[in-house]
Amino acid sequence: MLSTNALEQTISKILSQTEKRVVSTLDETLAESQKQLDDMRSELDAEYDKIISDGKKEADKIEKQIVGSSDLEARNQQLLVVGEAVDNVFNEVLEQIAKAPRDKEYSGLLDTLLREAMSVLRSTDVIVYSNQSERDTVQSVLEKFPDAEMASESIDCLGGIQIKSRDGAMTFDNTLDARISRLKPLIRRDIAAKFGVSG
Amino acid sequence: MATVGGVEYSKIAEIKGPLVIVDDVENAAFDELVEVETSDNERRLGKVLEVGNGKAIVQVFEGTTGLSISDTSTRFVGKVMEMPVSKEVLGRVFDGLGRPKDNLPDPIADKFLDINGAPMNPEQREYPKDFIQTGVSVIDGMITLVRGQKLPIFSGSGMSHNIVAAQIARQATVIGTQEEFAVVFAAIGVQYSEAEYFRRTLEESGALKRSVLFLNLADDPAIERIITPRVALTVAEYMAFELGMHVLVILTDMTNYAEALREISAAREEVPGRKGYPGYLYTDLSTIYERAGKLVGKTGSVTQVPILSMPSDDITHPIPDLTGYITEGQIVLGRDLFRQGIYPPVNILMSLSRLMKDGIGEGRTREDHGEISNQNYDAYSRAQEVRALAGIVGKAGLTDIDLKYMDTGDIFEKEFLTQDIDENRNLDESLSLLWKTVSSLPRNELTKVKDRYVEKFYQGNDD
Repeated sequence: MLSTNALEQTISKILSQTEKRVVSTLDETLAESQKQLDDMRSELDAEYDKIISDGKKEADKIEKQIVGSSDLEARNQQLLVVGEAVDNVFNEVLEQIAKAPRDKEYSGLLDTLLREAMSVLRSTDVIVYSNQSERDTVQSVLEKFPDAEMASESIDCLGGIQIKSRDGAMTFDNTLDARISRLKPLIRRDIAAKFGVSG
Repeated sequence: MATVGGVEYSKIAEIKGPLVIVDDVENAAFDELVEVETSDNERRLGKVLEVGNGKAIVQVFEGTTGLSISDTSTRFVGKVMEMPVSKEVLGRVFDGLGRPKDNLPDPIADKFLDINGAPMNPEQREYPKDFIQTGVSVIDGMITLVRGQKLPIFSGSGMSHNIVAAQIARQATVIGTQEEFAVVFAAIGVQYSEAEYFRRTLEESGALKRSVLFLNLADDPAIERIITPRVALTVAEYMAFELGMHVLVILTDMTNYAEALREISAAREEVPGRKGYPGYLYTDLSTIYERAGKLVGKTGSVTQVPILSMPSDDITHPIPDLTGYITEGQIVLGRDLFRQGIYPPVNILMSLSRLMKDGIGEGRTREDHGEISNQNYDAYSRAQEVRALAGIVGKAGLTDIDLKYMDTGDIFEKEFLTQDIDENRNLDESLSLLWKTVSSLPRNELTKVKDRYVEKFYQGNDD
């Protein structure tokens, strides 16, 4: 009997100890799980914040990209339209210059162009070129410049003159085409300003 | 802009490399723009290098390939090369000579400016001291860029200098001001892929509309490269000093510019200097770099970040050497860091911003900025020494404090230096990372920082 009691007591003691250990382990595990959960929560919160922040950054980036591209596209379209309008004005002006009467005033212009060209080449002993239709007018202006000679061939231009030194080494182009081409960037700005566009 | 046209000369005496020598020339001017016309009416641009004894030496930007003595004529335009400028150039792409490359018409110019610029009156220069935030920790924290500074990136072949430059261009802002910011990017002899990367990256970040691109690609004429930085800087100066904008100019790759200069010098049979570069390389480079700055009474500024790839990573090569004399510091990219996959691979020990001290600190960035930067420089320098020592005696032979410095070096590289290419860190984030790096050291090792800053920012638990 005694041995049975002792055995029961031992079993009971072991059970009690085991129970304590299990409960303690369970408590520890619970506390640890709780702690892990808490840690995870802050980590998750941080991760959540990071995802939201990254998403916002990405959205900002895309917004900037879309707005930037659209602004630029709109501006480029405007540039094309203004460019085309300025070119149309130019073409119209060139047509008007071509049709302008070659009268006394024009002879005065040719005289100015010739003097300017000769002063650049620093010589009056030059060969003068013009287009076919203005040869007579130019010839009459040349009477004032005895050293200058009218070239036998004509050049293709709107008006004005081109001169060459006798040896052909130096040329100065004072045709209306060349002058317009030289001044085109300045004239473009003035025309664009008429459309309300400035540089 | 000259309204009287120039004289055309058709007596070509000689064509030599990129040079055309014209005979019987009267009244030509040094640096005068010249139009060279070929027999098939192709027009190329050039400029007068020398005049005298009835001859003019003309440097042809697009090269002389296909030109012949008998069928070539030259028109001396009567003016120096000019760049049409207006605010409209923002968002545009031009070639290396400043001609539109984006299928849009020529810009309607507000002004035509000499591409050689007007030298800044030294008396009118304002000392640069306003911080530019690049969003790149290592630059903002330790090699701070200030408005009006010229701070080159010394790199090597194949390294990520263009990615760093593009990141700076995308992210650069002037904190605490509503003044406008613009980027002028000049590609000098770079590959198409590199230029395209810049264009795309600026477009995708929405920064293209505040940028102007000048592209001289590797297959474009080398002589054009002489002009590209000058047209870019002309536009930058206009935007800075006429429109009051803060302009960041990125010039990549200045080595290609110097190569073009060498080519012309060789063709002119000039006495060569070091490595065949002309003796006036220093003077010539200064005419580009000295166009950065701020002027008294003007709102805007021109800040330059020229990039140069050092041949064989040799920092004593004439190009980085002479550049270093002119500029105000340098950002050096390290091959070892690049090989380790660290981006941006900035070798902080060889880098320096000479104007940093005046652009940081209380009232400009943060009170502890200078000191924490110095502390990190010191710690990283010590870490490098310890790493070298460990290579000889092994880690086992190191003291505890040595090991801590090694860890600090690792944290510096992995957390502070390393950054994503689209990661834009603000200054507080960068400084916080600098504190985090040195917080791996015991508190008593922080000898470069005032105690009150240690109390406030130190993140370690060691005492």
